[in-house]
Order: sequence, then C-alpha cells, then structure tokens
Amino acid sequence: MTRRVVTIGPEASIFEAQDLMAKSRVRHIPVVEEGSMLVGIVSDRDLRSALPFRYFKEGISAEEKSKLQDLRVKDIMTRKVFTISPGYTIQDALLMIQNAKVGALPVVDENGRLKGILSVRDLLRAFVNVLGIGQPGTLLCILVEEKVGQLKKIVDAITEMGVSFGSVLVARYWEEDKRAVFPYLLTQNVAHVKKRLKEMGYTLLDPMQWYLDQLPEEDRPPDQPRS
Amino acid sequence: MKRTGFLYDERYLLHKTGPYHPEIPERLTAIYEGLAQGGLLDRLTRVPAAPADLQWIINVHTAEYVKRFEAACRAGKQMFDSPDNQMCAQTYETALLAVGGILEACRQVMEGRLDNAFCAVRPPGHHAEVSRAMGFCYFNNVAIAARFLQKQFSLARVGIVDFDVHHGNGTQHIFEDDPTVYYYSIHQHPSFAYPGTGREFEYGRGDGYGFTKNSPVLPGQGDEDYRRLLERDLFPAFADYKPEAIIVSAGFDGHRDDDMSDTKLSTEFYTWMMRQIMALAETYSSGRLLSVLEGGYCLRQLPELARQHVEVLLNG
Repeated sequence: MTRRVVTIGPEASIFEAQDLMAKSRVRHIPVVEEGSMLVGIVSDRDLRSALPFRYFKEGISAEEKSKLQDLRVKDIMTRKVFTISPGYTIQDALLMIQNAKVGALPVVDENGRLKGILSVRDLLRAFVNVLGIGQPGTLLCILVEEKVGQLKKIVDAITEMGVSFGSVLVARYWEEDKRAVFPYLLTQNVAHVKKRLKEMGYTLLDPMQWYLDQLPEEDRPPDQPRS
Repeated sequence: MKRTGFLYDERYLLHKTGPYHPEIPERLTAIYEGLAQGGLLDRLTRVPAAPADLQWIINVHTAEYVKRFEAACRAGKQMFDSPDNQMCAQTYETALLAVGGILEACRQVMEGRLDNAFCAVRPPGHHAEVSRAMGFCYFNNVAIAARFLQKQFSLARVGIVDFDVHHGNGTQHIFEDDPTVYYYSIHQHPSFAYPGTGREFEYGRGDGYGFTKNSPVLPGQGDEDYRRLLERDLFPAFADYKPEAIIVSAGFDGHRDDDMSDTKLSTEFYTWMMRQIMALAETYSSGRLLSVLEGGYCLRQLPELARQHVEVLLNG
C-alpha cells in the first residue's frame, strides 16, 4: 500500500479536488475529517460526472465556474467506501477489488483512521514481484497429473540440480485431472533441467499452447471488472 | 573474396565451468573443427590474442567490478555473482584474452587490413552488466568493442545486431541512453526465455530513446517469424541509422536442435540472416563487420553453423 496518502476534506470544492488529483497524479482521493477519520472517497470518475465535459476540453466560463464553486467534495464523494485493514493479504485485496469493482481500497485501522491506500497499480507491482519476473530467469511449463506429490518431485529434482526458483505457478489445464506447472527458474541453464524432467516422464509444454481461452466455458474465471 | 579474420586461441579453452553446464570448451573446438573440415582455415587470416588493456574494459565496466572479478578468480571461487557463472582459476585471464583478441580484430578491420572478422571466443559477453556477471558472461565483449571503435577510431555510429536466442540485457543497458550505438536484438520472447528483458516496448531512454529495438519471438517459432521481424524491424532501422560499423552478437542457440531454447531456426536460416547483415554492412558500413560468438550449445550443429557463417563473411 501507499502510506503517504493524498487526502482532502469534505468541505473542499470539487475544483480543489480536481487540481489535487492532477497535481499528485492519482485517481482516488480518500476524504477525511479531523484525526484522519475516513468519511468517503472521491475518484476521477466522480469528478468527471460532476463537471461539464467542456471543462476538460476547452475550459468553462467564469460564470459557469462560480456556479459549480458551491459543489463540495462531500456532495459527490462515495460515502459507503470499501476499505481494508492493514492486516489484509494481497489475495484478500485482489478478490475484494475484483468483487467490488473499484480501482483502489483505502486502508483503515480498527478506529476508522486512514492508514494508507492500495490501488490496482500497487497490486500489479505486487504481482510482478510475486511472479519474480523482475529477476533474470526462464519459464518452463510442465504438464502433470493432478495427484498428491507431483510438485514435490519436480521441485526436488530442480533443487538437486542447484537451480533456484523465482516462483512456481500452478494453473488448471483444459484436460481433466491435469495441471500445468510453471516454474520460473533463476537461470539461463535450463537445457539439463528440461532433459531431467523428460527423463522423469513429464511432458514439457510449449507455454504458448496454454491458453485460458481453452478452459471449459463454465470454468472460466469471472470477467474482470472494468476499471 | 573478402579478407576475413578469424580469432581463435587455444587458451580460450581454459575457462572451465562445472557439471551440467552447457558453456563448455568443446563448443569452440566444434567450431574450429567445422571450419577446418570445411577447408576454410587457409582462406582466413588468424587474429592473434593478447590480454586486453584494462583501460578499454573500464570504459564499460566499473573498476570495482573488474577488481572483484579478478579477486574472486584468484581466490579460487567457483561461482561469481550468479550460479550460472561458474568459473575456474583461469576464467579472469581467459575473459581478458577474449576482449584483447576482439579489440585486435576491430583494429585490423578499421585499419583496412581485414574486411571483416569472426571472433570465436569464450566466455561470451552480452548478458554482462556494468557491474554484474550474468548468464555465463563476465566482460561484455561486444560493448567494449563498440566503445573501442568510438574512442580509438572516432566512429559516430556503431550498430549492434544480437541474434543470440537470449536478449542481450547487458549490451542494451550499457547503451540504452546512448544514441551513438544502436542496439538491435531478436530473441525468444522474454516471458519465457532468459533473462526476461528485451520486450517490444523497450526503446532506450533519454537521448538514447529510439536507438534500441527488440523483436521478441514467441516460443516454438522459427525461420518465418524471424524473417518477417528482421524485415520489419532491423532493415529499416539500419537504413535510417547508417552505422559506420556493425558488430554482431552471434549466438546459435536458436537452432531447432539446441536445447537451450524453444526456438526452431534452421541452419539455412542462420546463413540467410548473416547474408542480410553482410548486405547491410556493405551498404552502410563500408563492409566493416565484426562477428563475436555468444551462445550456441548444440555440439552436433555448431560445426556446420560456424562453417556457413564464415562462408558468408568470406563470400557475402
């Protein structure tokens, strides 16, 4: 999460909110009252709905602006905010962002005080980190039967060869009783690993043959919310 | 026929890696045998190798890195910076000798004593970063050569073509903000292959933006995709850039028989590709072309791949 959160008060004008958003290059601003108490959140979309389209294109007249000047953040903010606590895991946050169809989750403590904010961007960074793709390595794709102990055999064999893992992803495969295992190995030297795995009887897939599209229709993951 | 230089030194065999390691001295002997059996050795001019002057190496790497590498080697360490970089007591000297030979080949090409050259060296170089050894590489041979050409012979534009199946992260990073070196690489897609860089959207940065180009190729693909991408990306880029000399990071590990990748190139394709690069050098670089060995691990295919590669350098 981001600890240094850009915040705004409920009485601020929407122009202040718009300026703050543009200046700090964020799309969500938690609205707080005294003592960092979270009372709402305002998004770039809330602002776009509140301001005339022309405001963003060519600007608006002073007269129009003065009419809108009375519009306060509290008038357009979302009051029922989806929040998480600092103890939430990345998985919690992923599921929550997907279900709530929001772009950011304020992090609050048990007293409702704002502690930070977690955006889709933060989750993406965490995911890059989890996949280990920031480090040099090679991705393998191994097809295994779905039974206990398969992964152990693979991990043991690769470990015995002195190769470290950046990550291991286990995903469903479109054939029943099969799983696709994607070890991301922190090495260039994969020829002997592949040879060993083949000797052990595993099928190495061309990773390009593995598409989510090929999953049975009803098993497809739910559509991603539009951000 | 061209005057083609051939850099090879038996001392390049002294760098030994550990068990299960594919970057072995036999790669070079396979290449040498291929050229010998093809009757090419008599038609080539041997380039002598001497250890490089450190001043050229520290144009690319930090002095601290060079010292650290030398110390690790002298201390008898078997690994340096990464488990991929296995080494022995001779590794540092061998790496110096590789750079030294390449710089000599550069000199002879620039002084007109040779038209072009093939440098069969070990260890390879294109993964080596400014201060980090990676992916079997210690000194970035090609990057040091490019800077040498600029400083010693005042070239304003050097073009690098890297067709090793892995992206040359070191070379790209060294020149990413430098418009005086154009780095082009075609390689297996970084989502699947080492080292995970060289994505299509990496174009360089700062003043060097637009002087880096990458053509990632999905696994399982071969001649057809490579041909299409070279025609789309490399040829127009070099027609615009007009490099005054071309350095090739020649890796043969995209061959369909090479287990190090899932790329399926044919031997004939490598020859076609090298002909195109020769033609670029003829058109824009007065024929000045330096090919430096990077990867390529299939001992069965390396002799023929090297033979055809050198045939192209000799005959165009």
